[in-house]
Amino acid sequence: MRHKHLLFLLVFFAIAVTLSACAGAATTATSWPGLTVDDEYAYVAYNTQVYAVDLVNGTERWRYPAEADNNITFYADPSLSEDGQLVVGSYDYNLYSLNAESGTQNWVFPEAENRYIASSLVAAENVFSPAADEKLYSLDLNGRLQWTFSSEGEAWAKPISDDNCDCLYLPTMDHSVYAVDAQTGTQIWRSPKLGGAIVGTPAYGEDSALYVGTFGGKLFKLSSRDGSILGEYSTADGGWIWSGPTISDGVLYFGDLNGYFYAVDANDLSELWKLSPEQLDGEIVGSPLVIDDSIYITTEAGILFKLDTTGKIVWSQTIGDGAKIYTSPRSANDLILVAPIQVDELLVAYNQDGVRQWAFIPAE
Amino acid sequence: MDIWSTLILDPMINSLIWIYSGLAQNFGLAIIVFTILVRLITYPLTASQIKSTKAMQDMQKSKKWQDMQKKHKGDREKLAQEQMKLYKEEGVSPFGSCLPTLIQFPVIIGLYQSIIRALAVTPIQLLGLTRHLYPFYNAAALIPLNNYFLWLDLSLPEKDYGITVAGFTLPILAVLVVATTFLQSRLMTPPTATGDQGANMGRMMNLYMPLFMGYLAYSFPSGLALYFVTSNVVGVLQYGIMGRLDWRNLIPARFTSESKTSSGSKTSK
Repeated sequence: MRHKHLLFLLVFFAIAVTLSACAGAATTATSWPGLTVDDEYAYVAYNTQVYAVDLVNGTERWRYPAEADNNITFYADPSLSEDGQLVVGSYDYNLYSLNAESGTQNWVFPEAENRYIASSLVAAENVFSPAADEKLYSLDLNGRLQWTFSSEGEAWAKPISDDNCDCLYLPTMDHSVYAVDAQTGTQIWRSPKLGGAIVGTPAYGEDSALYVGTFGGKLFKLSSRDGSILGEYSTADGGWIWSGPTISDGVLYFGDLNGYFYAVDANDLSELWKLSPEQLDGEIVGSPLVIDDSIYITTEAGILFKLDTTGKIVWSQTIGDGAKIYTSPRSANDLILVAPIQVDELLVAYNQDGVRQWAFIPAE
Repeated sequence: MDIWSTLILDPMINSLIWIYSGLAQNFGLAIIVFTILVRLITYPLTASQIKSTKAMQDMQKSKKWQDMQKKHKGDREKLAQEQMKLYKEEGVSPFGSCLPTLIQFPVIIGLYQSIIRALAVTPIQLLGLTRHLYPFYNAAALIPLNNYFLWLDLSLPEKDYGITVAGFTLPILAVLVVATTFLQSRLMTPPTATGDQGANMGRMMNLYMPLFMGYLAYSFPSGLALYFVTSNVVGVLQYGIMGRLDWRNLIPARFTSESKTSSGSKTSK
């Protein structure tokens, strides 16, 4: 009888451990890679490690931590400071500052009470880091807390700064955008509720207007002076807008989760053209990358498209069988960088003609 | 979209969110109401299972069954044949109690998955949730769901977001899960002879299953623990409504053995 009790205990223990392993998202990715670049390296934050990848040949320069720790996972886009820090938030509620050159740890800010999903905004003297605990933390470049701003919703998007008012614009999942004094952390205004969560960084226009996409299937133009609504554009079939729009030459470019891609006049929010899901194949989660007269977009189907500014598809490249892309593409040294998931490659570089230059596969 | 999502997951997720919208956007209340509704909808299956189990138990207590066990003690094959014959004679299906459970199983799994998916606390989960939402209501206005209920963040395990005293997180909900699971299993399991191998197995299950469920409740998002507690309480109530609750089962076996010995029942130690 005693043996049976022991056997039962062992079986239950094994099941419990297995189930806990399944539930804890330590090694199962719960987001997609965060990506940022400078002139020499691409920095990829994905799952248990942050990688610095040489832009010349796609080799690994360093990784942090050197040995993977299942308790620390990174998905937010890392942010670079002028003094060589790479700031990246983790799902372990800590914000890490690394030496961008060597990958060594500078400091850790441990006071958030939930995950860092959003990327940090790094200014000349401050780091502004939104966390999923509904707070925006302002730190100095040594990781010391300056102030905390509380909103009513989680912030999944990187804020933007406005030198005209020395303030920040913080989009949140409480369906509104906040303007916050960058020096004191006090609220300047809060926009009206916009009918859906905002998880994309707003675009800032030359007319000092803010442009934000929402889960409510609308792109709003807001006054940066008081947050009032100046105009709105509705997506086809109410498709949810995940990432913020990219603005270039007075045109807003953005995609939605139904797979449409839009070009909208920033002035009056009239539609210039749009591409259908049949043309693009898959949800569009990342923001487009605009370089001169070329637009680069990625879709969930793992395809990188190059468009011209009239909406014509110049070329497309499939990353690999089963690949999915949710990360916004980035550009450095004439390379277009994409960070897929569900394939071995963590980072793939193309030239502007769509020819693959190299791929980075992290060594085990 | 796969069949599982179309038939089970999507209706459940959307019902859950629809209930949430009508309950002051309180996800805790939505889980409780949704669990009660699912248990009510599956009540005919539960009732059928309980009736079949009772019929089986009554048959196994009968003199005919006991005599058969003694007579063919050393011949398993013959015993099985005789048992099947008796099942036929008495009109009892040996699978009568299993089948409703099997049918309920996908519902329970679906309920669990729909709660976890609706909470959607990471980008991949939220992106996944958008694929399950029906287009004919404005889910965008409700998302993200309000995860807070009483002292809990339903999207986080109680060990990470519970009431902390002197650095230790009190497992309040986990204790409730252990207590209600224990209560349910004790009240709904009839007393059996201690020598029976199946009964011994059942007793061990009754002992370890509540602890196992408590461990899961403490480690998994507390929304799931809330579902466990609600489901257990509703299960006990449903059993009570059918008049099948046996409060004597709460008394430790040795006391019942003594009382049964005194009233002539056969027990062994």
